[in-house]
Amino acid sequence: MKQNQTKAWLFLLPTLILVTLFSIYPILRAFLMSLQSGSLISLQWTGFSNYQYIFHDPEFWLSIKNTILYALISVPIALAISIMLAWLIFSKVKHQSFFETTFFMPYVTSTIAIGIVFRYIFNGDYGMLNFILRIFHLPAPNWIDDPSMSLATIIIFGIWTSLAFNIVILMGALRNIDPNYYTIADMYGASGTQKFWRITMPQLVPTLAFLLTMNIIAAFKIYTSVYALFNGQAGVGNSASTAVFYIYNKFQIVGTPGVAMAATVVLFLIILFVTFLQRKMMKKIGGQ
Amino acid sequence: MSNEKFVEVKNLRKVYDNGYEAIKDVSFSVKKGDLVCLLGPSGCGKTTILNMLAGLLFPTSGDILFDGKSVVKTEPKDRQIGYVFQNYALYPHMTVLQNVMFPLTVGKNKIAKDEAEKIARKYMELTQITDFANQRPGSLSGGQQQRVAITRALVQEPKILLMDEPLSNLDARLRLKIREEIRALVKKVGITTLFVTHDQEEALSIGDKIILFNDGVIQQDDMGQNFYLEPNNYFVANFVGNPVIDNFEVELKDGKLVGSDFAIDLADFDQDRFKKNLDEGKYTLSIRPENLKPVEHGHLSVKIEDVELIGRERILKFEHDNMQHRCLVDLEQPIKAEDQVELQLRLDRAFIFTPEGERVY
Repeated sequence: MKQNQTKAWLFLLPTLILVTLFSIYPILRAFLMSLQSGSLISLQWTGFSNYQYIFHDPEFWLSIKNTILYALISVPIALAISIMLAWLIFSKVKHQSFFETTFFMPYVTSTIAIGIVFRYIFNGDYGMLNFILRIFHLPAPNWIDDPSMSLATIIIFGIWTSLAFNIVILMGALRNIDPNYYTIADMYGASGTQKFWRITMPQLVPTLAFLLTMNIIAAFKIYTSVYALFNGQAGVGNSASTAVFYIYNKFQIVGTPGVAMAATVVLFLIILFVTFLQRKMMKKIGGQ
Repeated sequence: MSNEKFVEVKNLRKVYDNGYEAIKDVSFSVKKGDLVCLLGPSGCGKTTILNMLAGLLFPTSGDILFDGKSVVKTEPKDRQIGYVFQNYALYPHMTVLQNVMFPLTVGKNKIAKDEAEKIARKYMELTQITDFANQRPGSLSGGQQQRVAITRALVQEPKILLMDEPLSNLDARLRLKIREEIRALVKKVGITTLFVTHDQEEALSIGDKIILFNDGVIQQDDMGQNFYLEPNNYFVANFVGNPVIDNFEVELKDGKLVGSDFAIDLADFDQDRFKKNLDEGKYTLSIRPENLKPVEHGHLSVKIEDVELIGRERILKFEHDNMQHRCLVDLEQPIKAEDQVELQLRLDRAFIFTPEGERVY
């Protein structure tokens, strides 16, 4: 037993070293740095002044507000659309693997590349989106250059990019449902809607809980899509700044790593809290 | 109205899309209230037939009649059938009560919730699963899940209950218990039941009648005991019976059945049992192991290789023409392995088959 213990630790050692070095140490280091000020080569202890700074910085609050709005709007919509599309492909479409591959493409493509394409699609004057909107005589806003539209633009983009992963995972979950469940339901004449709500959805709960966690965390860490859509800026006049964007900006551009790390710690706590809350919620739903 | 032919299958054929002919011209009928077993080895087409009865598969040709009316074009939900799957297919996210109520809460049979619960509880009482009404199927034992599945199949008060190998997921001891329970239950409810199984013992013990399939063809449609005592053909004789029947390759020459080291006069057989006059040629002489008796001067002499004890009887194993044979004797028999024994064949209980499998004696 004792010998096994030693062996077990020995086998775990490589992972432990890597996790400590690249995950635990940076977290601790970030926390320590959030209590320091100055440039990276001459850091001094300053207590909680960095926190005081960010809490009084309107740009920080805007970033947090944008991030939360983005997460709260884009994640549920993306999940709903993903479920609809996955169910559609699963129950109605013949060449499933073809569509699955097609839907998975955005996931393997770089967000920067997609962002550049979307810059054209979103372009206010000659973009495809506005072209279509004009056909239907709908208002065609300036998606990229209008500060009031920047958040909407990144939400639409975020929904689109997260579909790929969600659909593929959901398809896997749908395939795992025992087909006899549906056969039985058919035998008793259950309608498509009844089958979906009584069998499919409850069976998807664990998968949805997983996707919700992953999507929320990813949404709080949004950065690349903002960078790609607004050509390296956070929208006109920083209107689409997000938490990570703020952190990056304070760290690299402004050169105040302490402030950046204070924001990192706040973001970390928000994500931790939301994930915890959402796990509790899913447990309650799953337990019903 | 037609109680004798409550379920009637006429010249049923099923060819799958890949060209495989699973069912070749099958006809049979089931009496109202009977429990009929569809028996056969894996891949013989018994589940295909069940699925066609349920409406899950469409027959290539032929007709299926329930109570005198053709149901081939009827949707499964309108056939008034209950179906129990091999793996039960209980909904894991619903409680036992919700599972049982499910058929009453969907489709056109949807009724008020409290009424549905009343019916569900009535049947749950019958199958004695009321105690776990609020548990999930995952926390129940195999036998309990089985009962939930049957209860769910019964709540719509179907006319016909179809069960696809419902006992195969249970352990041996439980299987014995549950099969008796199932028989008692369907008899109590009085529902006509078709029960698919590959286990002959199960079929013999539970069925009012057994239909034995092989290669998509009915081999025998009969009462249980007749499969053992009067098999239709070589396949039935070999499929039914444990330990399996002993087969001896023989040739009919000059009025004698000649084996590799024995010869039996055809005149010694029970003449009334011959189904026709035999031409000279090759035949298989088959006899149940209990009809081989160790005697002083018998038909053939063999060396016992092994003795196996099975409760109140013993199986003597010996080799003949490079084939393993068995002889069933009383526990008191003192014969041991390595003994040389003379065996007498009870010819009035033997069978003779042509090389094509047709029974001629």
